[in-house]
Amino acid sequence: MNKRKHADLSVDFLGFKCENPFFLSSSPVAATYEMCSKFLEAGGGGVVFKTIGTYIPDECSPRFDHVRKEGQPFLGFKNMEQISDHPYKENLYYLKKLKEDYPTKCLIVSIMGSNEEDWTRLAKDVTEAGADIIECNFSCPQMTQENMGSDVGASVDLIDAFTKATLKGTNIPVMLKMTPNIEKMEVPATAAIKAGGHAIAAINTIKAITHIDLDLMTALPVVNGKSSISGYSGAAAKPIALRFIANMKQDDYLKDIPISGMGGIETWEDCAEFISLGCKNLQFTTSVMQYGYRIVEDMISGLSIWMEEKGYKSIDDFCGKALANIVPADNLERDFKVYPKIDYDKCVSCGRCYISCFDGAHQAITWDVENRKVEIDEDKCVGCQLCLHVCPVANCITPGKVVFKPKDQFGLGSEAKYVEARSGDRNITVGQYDE
Amino acid sequence: MSNNVKQDAKQNYLCEEVPPFTIATAMEEASRCLLCLDAPCSQDCPAGTNPGDFIRAIRFRNFKGAAEIIRTNNVLGGICARVCPYEVLCEKGCSRTGIDKPIQIGRLQRFATDYEKASGFKPLKKVEATKEKIAMIGSGPASLTCAAELAQKGYKVTIFEEKAKAGGVLSYGVVPARLPQYIVDEEVALIKDLGVEIVLNTKIGKDKTIKDLKAEGYKAFFIGAGIQAPKILDIPGTDLDGVTNAVEYLGSAKPSNGDIEPGSKVVVIGGGDVAMDCATTARLLGSEKVMILYRRTREEAPAHKIEMNYVESLGVHFHYGFTPAEIVGTNGKVTGIKGTGFRDGSTIHLECDKVVFAIGQMPDASVKDISDVSISPKNTIIADEETDCRTDIPYIFAGGDVVSGGKTVVQAVAVGKRAADSIDTYISKEAK
Repeated sequence: MNKRKHADLSVDFLGFKCENPFFLSSSPVAATYEMCSKFLEAGGGGVVFKTIGTYIPDECSPRFDHVRKEGQPFLGFKNMEQISDHPYKENLYYLKKLKEDYPTKCLIVSIMGSNEEDWTRLAKDVTEAGADIIECNFSCPQMTQENMGSDVGASVDLIDAFTKATLKGTNIPVMLKMTPNIEKMEVPATAAIKAGGHAIAAINTIKAITHIDLDLMTALPVVNGKSSISGYSGAAAKPIALRFIANMKQDDYLKDIPISGMGGIETWEDCAEFISLGCKNLQFTTSVMQYGYRIVEDMISGLSIWMEEKGYKSIDDFCGKALANIVPADNLERDFKVYPKIDYDKCVSCGRCYISCFDGAHQAITWDVENRKVEIDEDKCVGCQLCLHVCPVANCITPGKVVFKPKDQFGLGSEAKYVEARSGDRNITVGQYDE
Repeated sequence: MSNNVKQDAKQNYLCEEVPPFTIATAMEEASRCLLCLDAPCSQDCPAGTNPGDFIRAIRFRNFKGAAEIIRTNNVLGGICARVCPYEVLCEKGCSRTGIDKPIQIGRLQRFATDYEKASGFKPLKKVEATKEKIAMIGSGPASLTCAAELAQKGYKVTIFEEKAKAGGVLSYGVVPARLPQYIVDEEVALIKDLGVEIVLNTKIGKDKTIKDLKAEGYKAFFIGAGIQAPKILDIPGTDLDGVTNAVEYLGSAKPSNGDIEPGSKVVVIGGGDVAMDCATTARLLGSEKVMILYRRTREEAPAHKIEMNYVESLGVHFHYGFTPAEIVGTNGKVTGIKGTGFRDGSTIHLECDKVVFAIGQMPDASVKDISDVSISPKNTIIADEETDCRTDIPYIFAGGDVVSGGKTVVQAVAVGKRAADSIDTYISKEAK
């Protein structure tokens, strides 16, 4: 195999020494022995087996939709599936066989009950079948029964009761999977930990409507003329996931609680981002549905090459390292601005920066009609860098000169002037732009 | 011709014809890739390159991993990215063709190897040389690959090259517009970094013999000496001033960065890739009129069609169906060439001041001086380069153009890999 591992990716998660943090999330991609096995063979560190309940759901057809923008598919993905539709005994058999055949891989099992007795029984049975960790699904947004799904994740009382009921049935670590369909995840997460839970998994899918069919006048996917609000995932969910995770990792009570992060993970860079916010375990589904288990190869290769170059010997070396630099908005320094710099050798004179600056920012770019040339008007430019984000040419507009604002810039009659900063005065990169 | 125009012409000659991808444009192209199940692209490379894997790595922003996939399989990955005839290899079976057009695999490979260089990433690590001494004779793509593979297996490898620069056809043949010299130099340096020693200006069989090298402790030899003797037609006028051949024409243009008199009206004789390279060289160096004279039809020409299209786009005139009959001149200088129909009685008379024969090459007669291995009547070394590259002397192996009589760079890379495996087997099993 010519995709190689360049650094140690192993990580301790809830006492289990995982060979790497890359896990399938509880979903259609981790529904059978064969599927989990194929992923583990491809290099995954473990799986979160698809949620096992005490009944078999009746699923609708079709059940998926996806959002595209300018030709790119799968920006976001909507699904209307529920928990496992395999017989209970079959699932327990899969778990047993997975643990037997892959003893060094971490087997997390997702469960969902409708009452306390269910949760206790499920916990007991999956523990006996060989689970290393239990994940309580408090958050599936498309369940058809009461007291199940994301409604649980929004209720502190249900979380408390079901976490305790789960712990009653097992002695292995219990992780609680949270719904993002609330304002503050710290509240239910705290309740789960206070009830005895050991870790948090976040985020489950976001309640959404992806499209409306304008002939049938219903949402997609259309199930005989009707549709439902249901869970949204994929790349579009990543920013939302990262913010919930940062909030929890910066919460005094939760900051040391292990988090399994998920939401739109596709590349090794996504993985590194979740780890930099403190996640020691990573889960993904949508990217596997689009591309298959093989995506884990480039996570292993890409993340380990990057770690080797950065000198990180282990995941722990950079886990949570970005948290200190994510601060409340009122803590940001606001005494300077960064002008954009245009590289005229690269500029193709499309005028997109002019359009966006005029219509969407501060009218600080001029357009020379005759020569088809744009220019920054430094008097008007506020350094927002919208132009940089819309420029279609690699490295054409980049962050340029940094100037400090006049001390009393809002003072009446001030003659204060902008002062150019020395290099190194401010550490600035604007967005992720490709060189 | 003014100095300025000449300067521009040289720039055209030296600049790479196809612009590189940026990260953004490489991502656009990688996103076009269907990442299809059985990746037909990965089954059509003589050297075993796996585009299915490296394009997927690019798609998932693992650019260095992509470079690693390419480089660990083919040490000349950046060179092949530029000179391979993809349209008949990896791109031929591309599933995307069912929607519009194939993925630009060569350009993506070039992006990954460019990125590798720009970022300072080194996918190949030097292996300590603890094994036997092996010598390569010639420094073309087959030898370079064989040397790198053997060095990675722990052998002490030395390359002997008769010329002043390493690279063989890469440095003395392929036009800079397709393969700039700095790319060749960089990949040669990469091979040196693996511990391979390169001895230049040393012709084996003349300056040194295999016997000498054996006495110095070399245990096995790979002859990848290439083909440098031009074929010339036996017609009147070939001794006129202005008549040359592809080996001389390309081989003086590239090392001098185009500092030659290309001729103002040039006739290139031949229909292969080398003829296309001659025509490109002439045109890019400012020749006013460049003509190709080929005896068969366009369809029968052995040159890759993508190269012919490029040459046509440069404004080169193609004259199909004529065999050269006589080169005419005054005062000892070429003034034209006459041809007769290959399949009919037509005649043609082209005015020119330069005639370049590009109708094929064969190994130099001095190939006999290198060793006592059996040689065919065409001066090629007899060895099976499709299997083990063995000659009839157990410790001498051979491959590349000196055996095949002339194939592509990527085929030479494939042969170099096979030869390295074969030499390794020989040393570990027989030479002890």
